[in-house]
Amino acid sequence: MSHPVALDEPGKRVVLMGNEAIARGAIEGGITLAASYPGTPSSEIGNTLARVAKKLDFHFEWSANEKVALEVAYGASMLNQRTICPMKHVGVNVALDILNPITLRGVKGGLVVVSTDDPSQHSSRTEQDNRWFGPHNDVPIIEPSSPQEAKEMTIFGLELSEQVKLPVLLRTVTRLSHMRSDVELGEIKDLGRQPEFAWDEFSYRVAGFEKLFRRHPERHGKIDAVQEVFEKTSFNELKLAKDSKLGIIGVGFAITYVKDAMESLGVEDKVSYMKLSTPHPMPARLVTKLIESVDTVLIAEEVDPFIELMVTALAKTANPDLVILGRKDLSFPREGELSQELVEAKIAELTGVHYDDPSRTEIEAAKDEMMFDRMLTMCAGCPHRSSIYALKKAVKTVKGDLMNVVVNGDIGCMGLAHAPPMEFEDTYFAMGSSIGVSQGMQQLGVDTIAWIGDGTFFHAGIPSLQNAVHNGAKIKIVVADNAAVAMTGFQTNPQMGITATGDKVEPIMIEDIVRASGVKFVKVVDAYDMKEAEEAFKEMLEFDGVAMVISRRDCAMVAVRQMRPNKPVSYVIDEDVCSGCKLCLSGYGCPALMWNDETMKASIDTTLCMGCDSCAQVCPVKAIHRSDA
Amino acid sequence: MDTFKIVVAGVGGQGTLLASRLLADAAISSGMHVKIGETYGMAQRGGPVMGHIQIGGETNNPQIRKGEADVLIGFEPAEAVRRGVTYLKKGGLALINTRKTDPVEVVSGMRSYPELDELIGLLRKVTDDIRLFDATGIAEEAGDPITTNIVMLGSIVESGLLPFNEETIVETLRTGLKPQFLELNMRAFELGKKAYHSL
Repeated sequence: MSHPVALDEPGKRVVLMGNEAIARGAIEGGITLAASYPGTPSSEIGNTLARVAKKLDFHFEWSANEKVALEVAYGASMLNQRTICPMKHVGVNVALDILNPITLRGVKGGLVVVSTDDPSQHSSRTEQDNRWFGPHNDVPIIEPSSPQEAKEMTIFGLELSEQVKLPVLLRTVTRLSHMRSDVELGEIKDLGRQPEFAWDEFSYRVAGFEKLFRRHPERHGKIDAVQEVFEKTSFNELKLAKDSKLGIIGVGFAITYVKDAMESLGVEDKVSYMKLSTPHPMPARLVTKLIESVDTVLIAEEVDPFIELMVTALAKTANPDLVILGRKDLSFPREGELSQELVEAKIAELTGVHYDDPSRTEIEAAKDEMMFDRMLTMCAGCPHRSSIYALKKAVKTVKGDLMNVVVNGDIGCMGLAHAPPMEFEDTYFAMGSSIGVSQGMQQLGVDTIAWIGDGTFFHAGIPSLQNAVHNGAKIKIVVADNAAVAMTGFQTNPQMGITATGDKVEPIMIEDIVRASGVKFVKVVDAYDMKEAEEAFKEMLEFDGVAMVISRRDCAMVAVRQMRPNKPVSYVIDEDVCSGCKLCLSGYGCPALMWNDETMKASIDTTLCMGCDSCAQVCPVKAIHRSDA
Repeated sequence: MDTFKIVVAGVGGQGTLLASRLLADAAISSGMHVKIGETYGMAQRGGPVMGHIQIGGETNNPQIRKGEADVLIGFEPAEAVRRGVTYLKKGGLALINTRKTDPVEVVSGMRSYPELDELIGLLRKVTDDIRLFDATGIAEEAGDPITTNIVMLGSIVESGLLPFNEETIVETLRTGLKPQFLELNMRAFELGKKAYHSL
């Protein structure tokens, strides 16, 4: 079945995820190239584009990281091609080094950068609000409120970008990116443009260096022009209620809570409100119309008081006595997502309408008391689990105590090494940072292990590895190589020998890069052979110099998928042999293992077990074996 | 029509989200507006997963308001209770698979899985209409425990509460599922329907 985003049926309504709607918008807008780096909650944009790129004849790639992705997209833009570059919010930090010069130099073909922000940190280490990149770089920010609008605003962004010659940043939040609703499809544009380098706009040789280099005043002119567009666009709405003293601004997705709350409280005609879909540059004249007409304004936005501060500045002249309520004044919490309940309670309070909080506080408290959280853990058969177990044994032997080494972890499934029962990871920060921070510690005499995944190594691990060799930081690195970008849903990386759209290419092996970088100890082991892995880890720990073990084995989910339609041969526990010591549960903790309170023996859930053999290697009495053995 | 609201709760890997999408597809092919909100964090498998499905109505909010869900479809007892006490309306139908999935806290011995009676007792403070069954066992009978989600779908369709008819959802299964697994899934669907009457 072809994906609904590829349908050439204008007017048809299909169910699309917010992220799929953005992909569809890019397609309708006539992109010929898209480049991305996966990261929750953005990944489905790239996944969707990858699936339909060949059919619809555009180039899609998973780039090495977000900065490279944006550079690739910019190359296409300079050829007068429309392009989109989706990434998660923290990915924009990585891409910022190229985003800033793009805003200065300008674009030719429409270029939309998508930033999927993650209020409440559903799947991120921070809930940073990327709207600040707007004033920081003079990049226009647009913020849709529904999947339909996400599609339309992606097209609007491509057109606006081309019109004002700036990249446009489309900002979503997790709730929007991951929601699904029916979306009406539009026409797929084929702009039919020849890819030609715009020499007169970008070439030092043709346009001249001086003309291209100092462009800050020109950039200011462009952002002013954007504001004029935003003053008039129908994506913003202003509705002034007669004699209302209260105004509400809902920014981006937050307008949904505002509209529902006003309807639910029956105050739609009593309160003035504004739907603001273009936070930067804020359409100041439109906002002035609202704040001049009221005494109090309430601002609902995710996450920071971005518009609240802009309104505060604007009110200084437009309405100095205006009472401004929002995140900064603590009418809403300073951190975390907004919710229907929060917004409705506040509007009820301001309008004097009765509101019943639907929270069942007492039952919820009893529930919290009774219930576990269901902490994150690695999947049944995950090769990272056996790698960590073997690493712990090696560290204990060589270092005497597990606390005699700082384990700096990294981003990805392997980052779950901190979770019980493994609990063998002290830090993780940013993509590739395990290798860097370990060096600062190692240079001052504190022993470290950098614990990193294969995808993350390619993203940002290579410069810091070479830094270690160059500066003589004798760090030890374990690459937990599961040949997959698993946490974000199985995208490609350079070692896999296949592109996002399925073409076979030359794989780049981590060990080749590492050896070429001057690392003298590099060993590749099978993560399921825990004896071999443990020996290699010991040698690594004893080596005088930068040393690396690549613990390699396909992601268990991929392995099970590849066995289909066959099922894995599961393992079983011989109850007569099992001593009931629980080591497999409390020390190893594969989710396929269970404890039977009646027999006081361990057992295996054969629907989850994928036959990796590692628990059999852990068992001290050899009670675990293949079910067919 | 009023918006019909369904909460689906389970654990990553159980097919909860596919079930949500099939229900949404059936609603949309009946000409109704639909919204799905999904909460699944960063885990591929094993983490708590929740889907909110709203059929009809004009809201764009993908989250159902607390205490307003008409139906709870629980793929796992603890997850069903976790979401049910928050979202299910007073007296709403809770259809719950009794097959437990132990979290890592339980596997590694940090704490025990609550007694089923105690868990369900919490939900009884919200509704009397709680229907418990071993949907995974029925799925195994159908041929593969992976079809637990389709067994649950069959049961909820048989409840007659959904705002579209059985033919629509069957048609959605035919177009939405991989052809090689259709026979297996249809068997699971039928067994799920049958099971509802003994609940």
